[in-house]
Amino acid sequence: MQFVSKEFLIFLPVVVAINYIIPRKFKYIWLFITSLFFYVSVDVKSAVVLVASIALAYGFGIMLEKNKASENNKNGKGILILAITVHIAILIACKYLNFIEKTVLSIAGRGEDAIGLNLLATLGVSFYMLKIIGYLIDVYRGDIIAEKNPIKLGLYVSFFPQITQGPIERAKNMLPQFNFPLTVDFDMLRNGLLEIIWGYFLKLVVADRLAIYVNNVYSDPEVAVGFTTLVATLFYTFEIYTDFAGYSHIAIGISRILGIDVMDNFNCPYLSGSIAGFWRRWHISLSTWLRDYLYIPLGGNRKGTARKYINIMIVFAVSGLWHGADWTFVVWGVLHGFFQVIGYVLRPLRDKLVDVFKVERNAFSHRTLKIMVTFLLVNFAWVFFRASSLGQALVIIKNSFVFTPWMLADGSLFKYGLDSADFFVAIVGLIIVIATDLVSYNGFIIRERILKQGIWIRYIIGIAAIVAILVFGIWGPGYDSAAFIYQQF
Amino acid sequence: MKKTLANVFKSIIFLCLLGLAIATSIVILKRKESDYKYTDFFNEAKKDHIDVLFMGSSHVINAINPVFLFEEYGITSYNMGGHGAMLQATYWELREALEYCTPKWVVVDTYMLEKNIRYLDNREEFDDEDEVNTSVEQLHLNMDAWPLNDLKRAAIDDLIQDESVKNEFLYEFIIYHNRWKYLNEDDFKTITGTANRNRLFGAEMRYDVELDPELYPDVTESDLLTEDTVGTEYLEKIIELCQERGIPVVLTYYPFSADTKDQAAAIRAGEIAENYDVPYINMLNLDVIDLYSDLNDHGHLNVVGSKKVTDYMGQWLSEAGDFADHRGDDDYAYWQECVENFNKELDDVLFDEDNLYIKLDLLNLEDYNFVLYVNGNSPVFLDSFLKRMIVNSSMSDKVESTSGPYILIKDNSTRQIYEACESEEIYSMSTALGTLNYRPVEQYFRLLYSDEDPDTNYLYDESHYLEDIQLIIYNDDGEIVEHDYYKSNGGNYVR
Repeated sequence: MQFVSKEFLIFLPVVVAINYIIPRKFKYIWLFITSLFFYVSVDVKSAVVLVASIALAYGFGIMLEKNKASENNKNGKGILILAITVHIAILIACKYLNFIEKTVLSIAGRGEDAIGLNLLATLGVSFYMLKIIGYLIDVYRGDIIAEKNPIKLGLYVSFFPQITQGPIERAKNMLPQFNFPLTVDFDMLRNGLLEIIWGYFLKLVVADRLAIYVNNVYSDPEVAVGFTTLVATLFYTFEIYTDFAGYSHIAIGISRILGIDVMDNFNCPYLSGSIAGFWRRWHISLSTWLRDYLYIPLGGNRKGTARKYINIMIVFAVSGLWHGADWTFVVWGVLHGFFQVIGYVLRPLRDKLVDVFKVERNAFSHRTLKIMVTFLLVNFAWVFFRASSLGQALVIIKNSFVFTPWMLADGSLFKYGLDSADFFVAIVGLIIVIATDLVSYNGFIIRERILKQGIWIRYIIGIAAIVAILVFGIWGPGYDSAAFIYQQF
Repeated sequence: MKKTLANVFKSIIFLCLLGLAIATSIVILKRKESDYKYTDFFNEAKKDHIDVLFMGSSHVINAINPVFLFEEYGITSYNMGGHGAMLQATYWELREALEYCTPKWVVVDTYMLEKNIRYLDNREEFDDEDEVNTSVEQLHLNMDAWPLNDLKRAAIDDLIQDESVKNEFLYEFIIYHNRWKYLNEDDFKTITGTANRNRLFGAEMRYDVELDPELYPDVTESDLLTEDTVGTEYLEKIIELCQERGIPVVLTYYPFSADTKDQAAAIRAGEIAENYDVPYINMLNLDVIDLYSDLNDHGHLNVVGSKKVTDYMGQWLSEAGDFADHRGDDDYAYWQECVENFNKELDDVLFDEDNLYIKLDLLNLEDYNFVLYVNGNSPVFLDSFLKRMIVNSSMSDKVESTSGPYILIKDNSTRQIYEACESEEIYSMSTALGTLNYRPVEQYFRLLYSDEDPDTNYLYDESHYLEDIQLIIYNDDGEIVEHDYYKSNGGNYVR
């Protein structure tokens, strides 16, 4: 069962309705059952790994808690290391054995001998493993008390709106909510539904439409040369944003109508003025996780400049590898680390230039320039993220720099799966996304503004949005719109 | 509590409005081909205005024109033929149709009887992927118009194997929501019920001429269709269905350029008809059409062929059935309106048509009078296809044995045909244009004038003296409605 499926459209109202009438203290049981059902409906074998991981996390959590209660807490670190090792081992077994095998054999010149060693292609394993590891570290640090109720811990790990693609929530935010879930009132319901509708719009109308063009160009990058390729890279930059943000909005909206408040995952990332700023706004739950559980434990910026740069590179290399078991993802992560380090290294020079040219830092033009440069760097890095190999990424980049502006006018753009009408809808969708981000960036939350309007405006917007998704959405026979990009991670 | 009730009420209102908006979108976005074909079926069936149902494939769509049938015999009918419809699709089409009307006769064409394809979406049974897609797509024409109910579910279950493809028929919006980019005026007019619809009661007329249809060997003993097929199974079901309901049924095999397997299927259809004691008309064996002028392509009749086949069926039904003549009946005014509408369409096609072959073919259908003149030594005299068309009009072989000049005057108002070639002259021809006289003078000059207006030479115009073909079409009032000049360009006659 996927978020974009008719089964889910039946499943969700049933879950919400029953959740509404169940007494508060039993809601977590219902949500755990439905979360397991949701996951099992995708893959039974993966569910076995999930349940085992939950059981292990529960056991290690209790052990850490008991050890804390002992006199000197001397075994705590050992238990934590063991717990993390076990869970990372599961992650590697499910996701990285193929990559390791392929890399080792490639070094030995026998790349074609790879047979594929991954034990299971487990859905969402990267996401829920980070949740588990974060939980265990929090218990070890004493930030939270280990959860005694295995169902509640199981729900934290498997909560169905988040299980496949996050947000990677923290236990200290989620577990208390399972104890005291909010009662969903009419305003929460409306708010959550609007967020879900927005998520589906981003996914079905924008992301999946852009994907048609992008997939066509990337499937045969030697053919598309010039601006058609450049447009494909730009489209992918927005595709992955609207796809992932779309999912996140749906997940957050669903959580809200179930009485669970989940952290935001995106905050206008392409309006960032720096790469560091981008990562404060992109996949926030992951970047804060990496900051809290990797960057800071590595020493963060407390151990000198060189160490800080090394830590940044480590964090982004890990981030890349977390996203996918391939060197293209590692390069993507390293590029982001490299952009940040270079940014820090060049900061004195940049400051000097700003002084020399008397640039007003807060001027619109200067901020726009920074946003554009950041956007182009992010766009460049996404090529590696999307490409199937480093060689393909280089071809795409090379082709993007071929100057063929006439392709914008001679119909070349319409040869890659989107005709002029679909292209027009894609552009309108992008304009809506960018405009929404621009107003959100300035603290204007459109959803809340809509909810403050009179009933007929709310009705018109709601109905128009749903009808637009149904009509302009990319779904139905011939399209595989069910899978979200980040689901593969 | 009061607030909760208000919220529930508001939610219900919202859901109702949303449902209305979605329903409207579904209606607007739905592909209209099927509605276009069947809107008048529902309208006329409701009024019990359908005497005969013509069932079958695209051969039926092009062969039977209910407008001709009404105009000539006063019989009302509906052409239920479906593009690419095999007999199992025809069976379900008939089941659906009989839910709305009980005709006096059902006419079933048995083309594709030999097909042994169980499911229309079974990729293993078709030669290639495109055929499956076409088969499924064409079934939408037959099925989309019928409302979603148990009968339609049963039909789709029986015709389609793949569950996801079944859903495409039962919940069409999943495929038609993508039509937003093709919307036109008619899509929106559907809401008000004013969308364009098929005014030929399900038929479609074609206007090309297949000049050189392929001819196939006659069927031999070894070619006969002896095995039962899905086609024979469903033909039997169709007959049984009609017989259960007490509706007389007649089987047909409409004419076209039939290959050996088609001829074998036609013979088998006759055997089935005999087994069930129902009449059978195999037009492959009857001299109903001229293969060289009445086909649109090798398998489908053009409008002239359709007229002939419809006439034949009209004659047969008139003799076999007890049909009231609805012409002149005020209750059937809409049928008369459609007759006039179609005759106007025919006029438009005739006068818009540039292709000389098609034009001459259409002139055989229309009541217009015409003069055809061809200069001496014109390439026309080497063009057997065009000469065949001329022979069809002149009813003589004169044009076959001359190198021109040649003139044909076909005057329907006096039911006279005049013909002359080489140095022949004709005087005192009684026509709607007057009493005409024809006299060839030299290569680029000839006389055609009337006694009433001897100063007007219809066949000479200085600006067109080099064009070797002239076609003058005039009406019964003696008014020239078109005077065209054609130049032969290697058999491509340019107006």
